[in-house]
Formats: sequence, structure tokens, C-alpha cells
Amino acid sequence: MPLGGVIFIVIFIAIFGAFLVWLSIKTGGKVHYHPVKYEPYECGLPAMEKKDTKVSVKFYLTAILFILFDIEIIFMYPWATTFRDFISSGQGGLVFGSMMFFLIVFIFGLFWEVKSKALEWD
Amino acid sequence: MTADSFLFWFLAIVTVTSGLSVILMNNPIYSALSLAMTMVGISALFITLNAFFIAGVQLIVYAGAVMVLFTMVLMLFDLKHEMQAFVKGKFTGFIKVASVGLLAGLLVGAILMSVGLFTEKTTDNPVTFGTGMEATKALGRILYTKYLLGFEALGVLLLVIAIGAVALSRSKGGTHEH
Amino acid sequence: MNMGKDAFEIIVNGLKLVIIFLMIVQLVPILVWVERRGSAFIQNRLGPNRVGPLGLMQLLADAVKFLTKESFVPDTAKPVLYYAAPIFALIPGAVAFAAIPLSTAFTVGTFELFGSSWGPYTFLVQGYDIGIGIVFILGVSSLAAYTLLMAGWGSGNKYSLMGALRASAQTISYELALGLSIVGVIIMYNTFNLTDMTMAQQGPLHFSFMGYTVAASWLPNWGIFYQPLGALLFFTATFAESNRLPFDLAEGEAELVAGFHTEYGGFKFNMFFIGEYGHMMVAASLMSIFFFGGFGIPFVTVDQVHQWAVTVTSTPNWASALVALIHFLVFNVKFFAFLWIFIWVRWTLPRFRYDQLMDLGWKTMLPWALVNTILTATVVYIASL
Repeated sequence: MPLGGVIFIVIFIAIFGAFLVWLSIKTGGKVHYHPVKYEPYECGLPAMEKKDTKVSVKFYLTAILFILFDIEIIFMYPWATTFRDFISSGQGGLVFGSMMFFLIVFIFGLFWEVKSKALEWD
Repeated sequence: MTADSFLFWFLAIVTVTSGLSVILMNNPIYSALSLAMTMVGISALFITLNAFFIAGVQLIVYAGAVMVLFTMVLMLFDLKHEMQAFVKGKFTGFIKVASVGLLAGLLVGAILMSVGLFTEKTTDNPVTFGTGMEATKALGRILYTKYLLGFEALGVLLLVIAIGAVALSRSKGGTHEH
Repeated sequence: MNMGKDAFEIIVNGLKLVIIFLMIVQLVPILVWVERRGSAFIQNRLGPNRVGPLGLMQLLADAVKFLTKESFVPDTAKPVLYYAAPIFALIPGAVAFAAIPLSTAFTVGTFELFGSSWGPYTFLVQGYDIGIGIVFILGVSSLAAYTLLMAGWGSGNKYSLMGALRASAQTISYELALGLSIVGVIIMYNTFNLTDMTMAQQGPLHFSFMGYTVAASWLPNWGIFYQPLGALLFFTATFAESNRLPFDLAEGEAELVAGFHTEYGGFKFNMFFIGEYGHMMVAASLMSIFFFGGFGIPFVTVDQVHQWAVTVTSTPNWASALVALIHFLVFNVKFFAFLWIFIWVRWTLPRFRYDQLMDLGWKTMLPWALVNTILTATVVYIASL
């Protein structure tokens, strides 16, 4: 069980990265502060910011649909690893048919979303 | 202390700490990021239980998809007013006290449960050792034969959710009308 | 835990991980140089050729320049996230890359050191074998979206935030096609384990179809011949996953300044670059493992190489080391070929428009990946009849 290796390398990279950032701060020289210089970047004009930024609901919809399809795809993974075992044990037809039903539901969902223009971007 | 138990305690402490910071952080974005960290910790704990595929699913679906959505939504809304409303007020205070009570009850219950489990050996759920593939294949063999109906029902359920999400996003009114 | 059964094995495995990580970091300046020279070659320019031979010292000059940049944090930024994002950018690529088998395992026999004898060891030429291979890599890579979001929101700039939003919407859209395009591969090899996948692609092309054995001795037994559509979809999706042209909408310069790293400069910007190249390296090695035989030599099985190695070396340990070295070199040839294709495509194709990008992901690649899955399953089922 090589989980220790994963944790080791994550901690190592975190320390390494923190060291690089620290080094670049140290070697970066003196900070010359000026309030205009330290404004967020905005093409040379004073920044205009609305109080509450409205973002298209498409982004949320894309993310929600992504989660749903992601779950469906995850369910295909154990099927893909066992499909040949099922075939050699004689249950291939049943498992093939059940996954085809699942995929038809998947395709219907995708087709309906394309039809209802939920995936249109303009 | 063996290496395995050290690993468990390390992961448990990381997971519980990030879980606590979800509710202790004032800024909801930091809370969401802590929750993502909690999910990663839980995924690592699944690996220590040899449930490799479940660990992968936890990582892909919860840490990589659900929490990304939460973080995205929170970053896009300017939640300053809502935060103010949530930090002060009598109603909020009541909710806080109630949550503390519920959490304490849950904690006591969990401790009692685990104390009860110390004495009995749970041999009725066998743990398959070996490579990750064996556990995954065992899962597949059960999922597509014994729990086939549940699996197909899940496909339909996900379709219904997708339709519901699209319908909600289309509803007029609210803040998103152009 | 169990990085090894005693101190020696733990130290070697730890060093191996550090070496793999440093290899990624060291490869980045070389790839940047290749990219700049290559783009110059494609666009009929000269590229960097002043500093050192062939401009190779340009890398060092760039690193020094990065280090001497003034450390800048905008007043509106959230310092914790602003500094954490570039550090976090290094993690997903490196952790995923360490799970990739770079060669065959090699053995070390018993030896005496510090007055005690150390048992025989087998070392994988791979950071760790986590047991679920590709699922682990997909899971870790999907965490890269947090880097974008942390950098975008932590900078306190609306361009950064919009860039991060676009980039994460794009990565998650293409993750679907990416995940689905390898279902066919998993059906073919029946496993998640990347070493097993490589081993299944040894020798010349041969498979059984409805009881007959089909063999073609003039083709290697590579996945691309079984999964051509899957290979195309997978390769396209990895471009989008690593935010490279033609999918680099996250930094569409005309609209979003530079995307999520607008406010970053100096070494912090460089760390995002290392992260991006890390994803590219993971994609290139996965491509070679799934579809081009991984570390295997075309037409030649690992056993054949091992038999040859035994005849030219003195001990079995040296033989296994020689086999591992040969396969490591073969892997690198394929690996660098795909990295070059990444660079080549970047300087050949123009950028998509955002709606075209989303349409390609959801309405073209996802349906075709579904077709690929259904086709593979049907053919595998018919072949078994």
C-alpha cells in the first residue's frame, strides 16, 4: 500500500514550492510600494467594479451536468474491468444488455439536453 | 506505533482538522476549500481500507467535481451581506447553539458506537487483500448482478436530476434574468 | 504506509519520488527551450540563439531573471490563497506522473552494508503503484481545477476570476470526454493497472475473434489498432485538460489579459508553467501507455529482452537493471515524441471561440466517445461468441 509515498511527495512538493516562493521574495529586491502600482491590473484605467457581479447561469448548469455525467461514467469503470470476466463466466449477455440500457438512458439525457438548448453558448 | 496506525492517525487528524475548519472559517470560500481537503483526506482513508476504487470515486466525484462546483459558485457570488447576516443576530445564535447540540449528540453517539464495536470482531464483511483490481472487480461482480436494479434505477434518477437542473436554470425571474 | 520493509527500501523509494519530481521540474526549462526554438522553426524565425550554444543558456538567464523580479502582491489579493495557488499548482501533475510506470522493475540482491546484510529488493521504476492506476491519475488531475480557482479568486482581479471560471468550466467539460474515451481501453485490457496494460501490448498484433486467432506479424500489438477513435478523442481531450492551444481559452489574451495568472509574475508565474507542463507530461505518457505500447519495444516482448540481457551480463541483478534501462529509454522516445506533438499542434492550430469549444466538448466528443464505448463493448461481446 504505497499511500505513504503519495503523502511524502505531496509534503515534499509543498515544502519545495514554499521554499521557491520564499527565495523569489528574498531575491526580488526591495519592494517599491505605490498605491497605483498595487492596484489590480486594468489596462491603464481606474478599475470599474460592479458591486455584485452577475455571471451567466450557464457556468453552473455546465458544472451540474458535468457532475451527473461524471457519475454515470464512473459507473462504467467497474463494468469495463469485469465485462470480459462476465463473458467468460457466461453472463456476458445479461451484463451487456444492462449496460446498454444504462447507456441508452445516458444518450437520451444527452440528446434531450442538446435538444433543449441547455448546452448552447452565445 | 506501526507505520499503518501512524498513517491512520495522520490522515484522521488532517481530515478532522479540515472538517472542523469548514465550520470555523468565517469566509465561505475558505470553508469550501477546507471541505475539498476533507474529501481528499477521506479518499486517502479509503485507500488505507483497501477500497481503492471507492477512493478513486471519492477523489473524482466529490473532490474533483462537486466541490469544484461549490467553490465556483461561492467565488462568483459576492457573499459579504449574507456573511454579515449569518455572523450576527438572534436567529443565527439559536441555530449555532442547536448545531452545537446536534454535533455533540452525534459525537457521543459515534463514540458509544465505536466503544461497542471494540469488543466484537466484525468478521462478516471480509476484506479482500491483494491488488486494487481484485477489490474493484469484486465490486463490479456484485454491482452488475445482485444490485442490477438499483444500478439501472440510478441511471434513470440521474436523468431526472439533469432534466430538473435544466428546467430550474430556465425559470424566469430571480437575479439571472437578462 | 509501507514504502518499504526496511530503512534501505524506504530511503530508495523516497529518493525515487524526489528524483521523479525534480525530473519534471528540470524538464520544464528544456521543453520551454524546445517550444521556443520549435515555434521559431515553424514560423520561419530564429528563436533564442544568443545566450550560449543554440541559445541553451537562455533557460538559465530566464531563471535568474525570474528570481530578481520584485515580489508583487496586489492590494486586493487574499495573500494566503495568492501564495498557495502556485505551490499547489505543482502538486497534481507531479503526484499523477509518479504513478506512471516508466520501465520494468529491477531487482537488487543481498549485500553487506554498515555491518548488516540487506535482503533482496525489487524496485519499480515508478513513484508508487497505487493499485487503481488510471483512476488515481484521473482523480488527482481533476484536483487541478482548484489551482485555477484559488489563483483566480485569490488575485482579487476580475480578469483573473473570469479566466479561472472559463478554464475550470472548460477542464470539467473535457474531463467527461477524457474519462469516457478510456472506457474502451479498459474493456480491451480488463484492468486499471498501467503496467498490465503495457504488458498486454507486447509482441506482434494478435487477437481471437469468434474462436479464430487473427495475427498480423507486420504490426505491433498496440492499442491504437484496437482503439483508433478512442486514441483521437483521448489525445484531443488531454489538450483541453492541460489548457494548451488550441484550447487555451483561459488566457485568451485579447479578452482576459492573461487569464487566471494575470497578477502573477516572476517565479510564481513560472510555477504555474511547471504545473501546465506537468499535465502535458502526464498526458504524453498516458498516450504512449494506452495506445503505443508504453515502455515496450515494438514486436519484442519483455521476456525476450530479458533473455538477451542474461546472455550479455554477469548476474541476474545486472540483467534486470539492463532490461529496465533499455525499456526506460524506449519509453522516453515515445514520451518525447508526444511532447513534441503537443508543441507542434500549439504552433499550428488557431484558438477556438468559446462556444465552439463547448460545442466540441459536449456535442461532438462526448457522443463519439459514447459511440466508441458501445462499439468496443459490442465487438468484444461478438468476438467472444
